[in-house]
Amino acid sequence: MAKKPKILLVDNDVDFIDLNKAVLENGGFEVAVAYAGREVMDKVKFEQPDLIVLDLMMEKHDTGFGVAKALKADPVYRNIPILMLTAVLGETGMDFNQELDGYWMKTDSYANKPLTPEELINKINELFARSKTGE
Amino acid sequence: MDDKVTILVVDDEKGIREGCRRILTGEGFAVDVAANGKEGLEMVKAKIYDLMLVDLMMPGMGGLDMMEQVSQIDSEIIMIVITGFATIETAVDAMKRGAYDYIPKPFTPDQLLAFVNRGLEKRRLSMQAKRLMEERDQKLLEVANERSKIHTIVNSIADGILVINREKQLVLFNPAAIKMLALSRKLETGKDINDLILNEDLIHIIEEGFSSESSQYTILSEEIELPSPINKTLMVNVSKVRDETGQDFGIVSTLRDITSLKEINQIKSQFVAMVTHELRAPLSAIEGYLSAYLTQAAGNDPQMYSQMMERAKQRAHSLLELVNDLLQYSRLEVKSVARKKEPLNISEIILSTVELLKVQGTAKDLKFEMDVPEHLPLIEADRTEMEQLFTNLVSNAIKYNVKKGKVMVKARPDCNFLHITVADTGIGIDDESLPCIFDEFYRVCGPETRYVTGTGLGLSIVKKIVESHFGHIKIDSKVGKGTAFTVMLPIQQGKESK
Repeated sequence: MAKKPKILLVDNDVDFIDLNKAVLENGGFEVAVAYAGREVMDKVKFEQPDLIVLDLMMEKHDTGFGVAKALKADPVYRNIPILMLTAVLGETGMDFNQELDGYWMKTDSYANKPLTPEELINKINELFARSKTGE
Repeated sequence: MDDKVTILVVDDEKGIREGCRRILTGEGFAVDVAANGKEGLEMVKAKIYDLMLVDLMMPGMGGLDMMEQVSQIDSEIIMIVITGFATIETAVDAMKRGAYDYIPKPFTPDQLLAFVNRGLEKRRLSMQAKRLMEERDQKLLEVANERSKIHTIVNSIADGILVINREKQLVLFNPAAIKMLALSRKLETGKDINDLILNEDLIHIIEEGFSSESSQYTILSEEIELPSPINKTLMVNVSKVRDETGQDFGIVSTLRDITSLKEINQIKSQFVAMVTHELRAPLSAIEGYLSAYLTQAAGNDPQMYSQMMERAKQRAHSLLELVNDLLQYSRLEVKSVARKKEPLNISEIILSTVELLKVQGTAKDLKFEMDVPEHLPLIEADRTEMEQLFTNLVSNAIKYNVKKGKVMVKARPDCNFLHITVADTGIGIDDESLPCIFDEFYRVCGPETRYVTGTGLGLSIVKKIVESHFGHIKIDSKVGKGTAFTVMLPIQQGKESK
C-alpha cells in the first residue's frame, strides 16, 4: 500500500510517546497518540489506526488491560493488531494463551519494556507481517 | 550409722558383762557395758548404739522398764533380752516393749553371736529402708519441682507446642497452641489428635513427622494457612522425639504465628515493585533519547535532538530527586530516628523556604502573597522536617500553577493549633484523584501536567511529617481554579513566643 501505516501509541509516559513518535515517523509510519486508557476508544474511532501499541500498566483505575479487552470484544475493532507492552510480564500474571481465551489472536503480541525504538519497529513490522498471512 | 557396730551390754552380773564383751569384741564390734538399768539409760542417752543386750532381772530398774524408756529415746536400737526365766509370758512382754529377740541363759558364744548377728542384720535392713525412703521422697519432690518448672516454661512460651506420642495421642500442649489453632474443642491429653485437630495440612505434616524417613535431627518445616474466619498463617516445625533408650517416643510440633510477618513482607514487595517501576520509566526515557540521538533514528533535525537531550536531562534530575525523596521517606518510617523536636517559631522557616523557592516561579511569572506574622506561638517540631514540609507544599504550588498565577501562604493560630495554608491558582485536583493524592508515587495525570516531573513522594512525605507531629492536613481544590493545603500543628502549651 502506498498509504503510510498508521500506528496509535498509547502510554502515560510523555517521553515514551515523544521519542517513539519521532522515531516511528522517521521510519515511515504515521503516528497518533493517547496518554490514558480512557482516551483510546475515541482515538481509535477518530484516527482509524492500522495497529495499536498499548502500554498495559497505566493508572490504578485505568489499566491498558481493560482497554485491550474492550477493543477485542468490539466487532468493529477486534481485527486491529495490538502490541501490548508491559514492564514485567510475570508480575502482571498474564498468559495470553490461557487467560484470555478467544480474545487474543495471532495478530496480537506482547513485548517487555524497556525496549528501544528499533526493537519497537521490529515488533510492529512482525505484527504487520503476521496479520497479512495469519489469523 | 557408724562404720563400727556399737553394742551395749546391760547386766548386773559381771561375769555376763565381761563374757559378752570378750566374745563381741572378738568379732570386731565395739562394746560398752552397764551394770544396771539406770546406768544403761544414761549411756543410751549419750551415744547411739546399734544393738543392746539387756538382762531382764536386775535390781533397781528392771530390764523391761529400761527397754521401755530406751525405745522412747532411740526407736531404732535393736534390743535383745537375756533372761534366765525363759517363760512365754516374759518373752511376749519383752517383745511388746520393743525387744527384737531373747536369749535364754546359759548360752554359748556361738549362740550369742548368732542372735547378735541376726539382730544387726535387721538393723542394717531397716536403716537401709529408711535411707531409701528418704531418697525416694527427695526424688519425688525434685521430679514434682522439675515437672512444675517445665510446665511453667512450656506454658509461657509464645510459640504453640504440641507433643504427640506414637499412638497419635496428644501428650503435651500449651495455651499458645490453643490460641493459634483457635480451637473450639478443648485440647486434652490422651485424646487422639485426629479428634482434636481438624486442619488437614497440620495433620499431614504431623503424619510426615512420624514417617521413618525423618531422623531425630530432621526438622520438617511448613507454612500452613488457616482459612477464615481465623485468617492466620502459621509456621509449623515438626521433629521426632526419642526417649533415653533411643526409641521413637513421638513427635513435637511447634507453631509460630507469622501472619504479620507475611503482611509486612507483602507490603515490602509491593513497595519494591513500585520503586522499580518508578526507576525504570525515567531510565528508559533517558536511554531511549540517547540511543535515538546516537543512531539518528529520529531524523536529521538537530533542534529535535536538542530538545530530546533537554528532556533526558530533566528525567535524570527527577531520578536524583527520587533518590533523595526515597531516603527522606524511609527515614520518616523509622520513628525513633534523630527527630529533634524543639520549640520553634515556624514563621521564620516558612518565610525562608518561600524565599529559596521563589526563583522556580519566575518562569511562570508567579506572584507570592505572604500573610505570615513575624511572631507565631511556638510549636514543638523538628526544624529539618518542617523545612521539608513547606518546601514540598510550596514546590507543588509552583509546579502545578498557571502562568502569571499566585501562591498564597497564610499562617495563624486557632484554638490550640497553628493553621498554615499554602494555596495556589493552579490546575487543581479532580475529585477522582483527591483520595489518592497522598499515596506513594501518585501523581495527577492530565494534559497540563504531562511534562511536569515529580517523584510522587512529596505529599506522602508531607503527610508523614504532619502525622509525626500530631497534626492534621486538609485539602481544598477545584479543577481550573486552584488548590489549598492547610496544615494544622499543635501549639506548645504554656509557652508564648517573645
